[in-house]
Amino acid sequence: MIAPTVDPPAPGSAMQDSAASEGAVRDDIPMIELVHPMPGFPDHTRFALVRLDEDGVLCALRSLDDPDLRFLVTSPVAFFPDYAPEVGDDVVADLGITDVADVLVLVVLTAGASLAETTANLLGPVLVNTVTLRGSQVVLDDPALSVAAPLVA
Amino acid sequence: MLVLSRRTGESVVVGDNVTVTILEVRGDVVRVGIDAPRSVSVHRAELLAELASTNQAAASPAEDTVASLAEALRKRAD
Repeated sequence: MIAPTVDPPAPGSAMQDSAASEGAVRDDIPMIELVHPMPGFPDHTRFALVRLDEDGVLCALRSLDDPDLRFLVTSPVAFFPDYAPEVGDDVVADLGITDVADVLVLVVLTAGASLAETTANLLGPVLVNTVTLRGSQVVLDDPALSVAAPLVA
Repeated sequence: MLVLSRRTGESVVVGDNVTVTILEVRGDVVRVGIDAPRSVSVHRAELLAELASTNQAAASPAEDTVASLAEALRKRAD
């Protein structure tokens, strides 16, 4: 299962109709409104999702409030095929999710000096409803998940 | 900060619909039950602090770091 499991669970996944490469982000999103600011960045709620390569693998969440602030993000699908964050009704309501296929899951990358030292935050994925353009960094209370999982094994 | 003494099994009510109950006290560990509507997010404080520090470490990497990561990912895909 690629898409996040929401309650009640809905069949299908965000990627099943995609001809693009697995887990790619297909389009830039000019403005995403975070319904809760990311922990550590209480003043930033508006971000643009920008693809940094043609394949849509490496992307940036760029603050629209502060041009110097950006986060590297990627779809976890290609790197963590078993990753399936479960979110609660509060997140479903906050983001206005009506169809799990509308949800884009991104993980924030902490870039290291090399690819091997680059980590992904699996504990706090950023979920974006691509219809309402609302997003949130969701805190998953799962002790098995790390904030710094190596991106490539 | 409001400080209250509570015994096991006793509760405090926060706002209209959040109830915090002391379930068990054993040594320096206190088990707390929180009954809140699903719209109210409840997280352990250290989890949010960990996320904040991870976000701060991830924020705004240098341009050449981003370029080399993009290059490494492109090579990996080939």
